[in-house]
Amino acid sequence: MEKTTERNISISGSGTASGGDYHQVKVNGSAHINGDIQCETFKCNGSSHIEGNITTKTAKINGSAHIEGNMDAAEMTINGSTDIDGDLHCKELKVQGSSSVKGDLKGEEIIIRGSASIKGNVSGDEVDVKGQVKISGDCEAESFNARGNFKINGLLNAGNIDVELLRLCEAKEIGGENIVVKKNTDSSGFKKLIKFFIGQQTDQLTADVIEGDHMYLEYTHAKIVRGSTIEIGPGCVIDRIEYKQSLELDENAKVGAQEKI
Amino acid sequence: MENLISKKDLLEAADISYGQLYRWKRKNLIPENWFIRKSTFTGQETFFPKEDILQRIEKIKNLKDDLSLDQLADMFSPSPTITSLSAEELTKRNIVSPTALEMYSNHYGVSYTFSFDQLLTLYLLDTLLQTGEMNRSEGMELLQILQNHSNEIKGKESELIFIRKMGVSFFILSPAPAELLVESQTKIIAHYKLNQCIEELKLKIS
Repeated sequence: MEKTTERNISISGSGTASGGDYHQVKVNGSAHINGDIQCETFKCNGSSHIEGNITTKTAKINGSAHIEGNMDAAEMTINGSTDIDGDLHCKELKVQGSSSVKGDLKGEEIIIRGSASIKGNVSGDEVDVKGQVKISGDCEAESFNARGNFKINGLLNAGNIDVELLRLCEAKEIGGENIVVKKNTDSSGFKKLIKFFIGQQTDQLTADVIEGDHMYLEYTHAKIVRGSTIEIGPGCVIDRIEYKQSLELDENAKVGAQEKI
Repeated sequence: MENLISKKDLLEAADISYGQLYRWKRKNLIPENWFIRKSTFTGQETFFPKEDILQRIEKIKNLKDDLSLDQLADMFSPSPTITSLSAEELTKRNIVSPTALEMYSNHYGVSYTFSFDQLLTLYLLDTLLQTGEMNRSEGMELLQILQNHSNEIKGKESELIFIRKMGVSFFILSPAPAELLVESQTKIIAHYKLNQCIEELKLKIS
């Protein structure tokens, strides 16, 4: 869309603005915006409440924001906290604080360094979690990396799944090509500190079904594991394994039944 | 109930791996509603409509060397990929016969470019004419019903059914997959899945 004049909104202090077409929207205090916004850059250093949708190239939220509609951004960084009642579409998303999305999250690169909770489905090329993520729907990605805690109520479907467990991780179903689940071996002071505050919870992955071509699993509790080449490491409790080519079992793994197909 | 195949049997029958199946699902090559969950004695199992999925996987395997997975997804999706094609191109590339084009022009008036929906109508008309089972006046009826209900069948798993009993013929459009039981003298001449026709058409014009 061609804009005839470039308009900016800048709110320092507290103010209200109406939606519309802008070049730059900047909030340094607290703002209330009625209506949809279209802009090039959206920056919020204080708190803002938007009654509508936002479409922008870049969005940076250093304070807190509540968006009642959908958010569409090419690049988005959340350093504070953000609540989105609709869907979030974003090419590159970086969450360093906390965020919640009531709809679906769609992006190419999704990086979560703090905590995020998504009520819908998540889909992206790359999903990288170093923190905590809760997904009520499915999660689809070409690569899914997690060094932290995740809970997925639906299917985790990714080409490469690489997980380093922290506390109780959960997914209803997991499917992909390469799946690696390992216990976090990092015994730095930070992790000890977390454990001190949260309690000595074991690191573990729970899933109903895990299906993939090649997998290495540690400390995984599952009802069924199916795949081509499977390596089961220590701490696993698996009711049934079906494999095509090879199966290796650690002596500290508990496996109910195993069958070569 | 339609014929179902379990995931395990499917992988064996189609000679593919779990990884491939999940990747194709991710790329939307296999529609979500084909994954049917049922509980069995080993717990939850996933089943698929047997004919549809085997056909689809065969197509993916044949085409995946020539087309990217994203192109394939476009082809399988019920939404159109191209916006329009000229009448000249249609006949030159032998996509539909001149007869079908002429009938279409008689009904709608002469047009020089065709949108994807119009192309689909043309394609259905041409396919049925080519079978030799449908005469020209029935063809006009087909154009009429497709025109009247174009919005109701869009983006769904619609089907076109062509039935004849003792020389009397009629068309049925169903927005959802239908199973038909008919009287003994009734003949089901055609039962097309429109999504499949869309795929064929896309393949033809791409």
